[in-house]
Amino acid sequence: MAEAQSVEGHRSAREREGWVTGMLVLFCLASTVVTIVAGLVQVSFGEYSMTFLEAWQAVFNPSVIFNLHAWSAFLFGTNLPEMSTASIVVWTLRMPRVFVAIIAGATLAISGAIFQAVTRNELASPFVLGVSSGAGFAVLATLVVFSGLTPFLPLIAALGGTVAFVIVYTIAWKGGTSPVRLVLAGVVVNMVFQSLQQGLFFFVDDLGVVQTAIAWLTGSLTGTGWEEVRIAILPAAVAIAIALAGARQLNVLMLGESTARSLGMRVERVRFSLSAVAILAASAAIAVAGIVSFFGLVVPHIVRNTVGGDYRRLMIGCLFAGPALMVTADVGARLALGGTQMPVGVVTGLIGGPYFLYLMRKQQSMGEL
Amino acid sequence: MARTQQDVDREQERITDDNGDTVESALVGDDLELSYPTSEETIVDCARLDIPEEAVTALVGPNGSGKSTLLKALSKHLTPATGSVQIHGKDLDTFSRKELAREMGVLSQENDSLGSIPVEDLIYHGRYPHRGFFDGVTEEDHRAVERAIELAGIDHLRESELGQLSGGQKQLAWIAMVLAQDTDVLLLDEPTTFLDIHHQFRVLETIRQLNEEKGVTVAVILHDISQAARFADYLVAMCDGELYDWGPPEEVVTEQLLADVFGVEASVEYEPELQVLPKRALPESQT
Repeated sequence: MAEAQSVEGHRSAREREGWVTGMLVLFCLASTVVTIVAGLVQVSFGEYSMTFLEAWQAVFNPSVIFNLHAWSAFLFGTNLPEMSTASIVVWTLRMPRVFVAIIAGATLAISGAIFQAVTRNELASPFVLGVSSGAGFAVLATLVVFSGLTPFLPLIAALGGTVAFVIVYTIAWKGGTSPVRLVLAGVVVNMVFQSLQQGLFFFVDDLGVVQTAIAWLTGSLTGTGWEEVRIAILPAAVAIAIALAGARQLNVLMLGESTARSLGMRVERVRFSLSAVAILAASAAIAVAGIVSFFGLVVPHIVRNTVGGDYRRLMIGCLFAGPALMVTADVGARLALGGTQMPVGVVTGLIGGPYFLYLMRKQQSMGEL
Repeated sequence: MARTQQDVDREQERITDDNGDTVESALVGDDLELSYPTSEETIVDCARLDIPEEAVTALVGPNGSGKSTLLKALSKHLTPATGSVQIHGKDLDTFSRKELAREMGVLSQENDSLGSIPVEDLIYHGRYPHRGFFDGVTEEDHRAVERAIELAGIDHLRESELGQLSGGQKQLAWIAMVLAQDTDVLLLDEPTTFLDIHHQFRVLETIRQLNEEKGVTVAVILHDISQAARFADYLVAMCDGELYDWGPPEEVVTEQLLADVFGVEASVEYEPELQVLPKRALPESQT
């Protein structure tokens, strides 16, 4: 009896399901605002010039938003119903690019966050652990050699990413892994796959393909349309849903392998399946946006610094911050240099790299989480 | 070697003996040969090990005598090369990890310290084996956690972040997490090593209280033989991967044992209570 009373007494102090903090809500709201503003900037500028107002009207045009035919055209590739020129420019050329940025941002951020927990390593990311370069090689090989397989790009990217990650893990495994060994193995595997990628360029006759390939390897959203949204949205949704559901597993995994096992977790299985989810997420992004460097590494750090290390919060934070940063970076990539578009990977690399160095200098110890 | 064999015989008699005072074993290791996958070498070779029901058993022995390895086998962290482990008469292999985690709580020696996790969140992770993949926190979870916090006496620390606590407070937080698991059997690997004397007692008193109030079976590795002798109901002395002796502290702790197992010359007093006074290290050749 006394026990029950003391439980009641403490309950008010901290509601257990209340892991959602004010900070998290604020962070997500801010990220949403940034995403929307950057998205609107993105759709307002371009060769077909229109004012902010016109662009916004086109975006929120009810005859498009509430038109099932339009959405079926966007999402399933059926014939587009008739609409105004502004609407066509905004909804078929510029909006899908924003959507692709949102999907790629969310999946890359979540993928990085999962990899950091699974390897218990702050330096882990799809980029560092070889997944990006493996998937990159696979996609490049598809574009250059097996162009007939293009419809299966996400699958192929996932396959390449998986192979590379398995190689990294195998090299690093020695009765367990350590952060340093994983990163070193990742660097080596990265180099090998990058050499393979460069080797592939010798088999290209067409200069256009080379340019596509380079844009692709630096990570670019130029020219992405509803086609890319269609490719990525399903794997992204699946990966994100599983990742959110698995946040508590990640929290337990962060307690260390032997503690997690003592608590009844089948550690190898959980680690393997969550890695698979992270690879799926990264592949979805890579298949449509190419290798956007530093993104999966830096975004979880920003989120962790803001909302804390609890993965239930971290995952939600990544889900909102990833799109905000990716859309913003893509605005910079598309509009900063006036006429010429840069690959978005150049922007994220230029900003993410120095930011990461700053983190390294600031923190006493880096590596193990 | 001869002595070990003799002990084994004695134990087995004792276990099969069915008088009123019979010792029931919560955990039995049978014919265990343990080695790590990375090497061929057998670390522990133990014909039979009993952890008596509702008692506190301390595993003692010098560094490298195989205590931790034995504990890993008892908790299914290490699969024995030969032999088997039974908990309440059922083979460990018949349990899934989660089922086992509802029967047996384990605290390993080194816990990787996560800086930013609040103590209360850590303790809630102790409920992991009781929750399904999508389950929320139940009333029972609340109760178990509150009980664990109360037992460990860390109510004032529940909001603190783990990384900011002292070594002793951290250890109490980890112990509270294992207590929240609400198991009948508890295995602890050196929970008092590296703690100051105050926190050593806090940890031991928590364990003792748990044992007395809930009848929890405890197997604990203790570094300090004199502490173990005073604290435990039973001692298991390990030496070079073999069971050297087993029984109540008054029977096990002798000057001979301290010389043979620990390589120290010591005097042992049995009155008014068991006390071990180590004097000096014996030269290697004599040990």
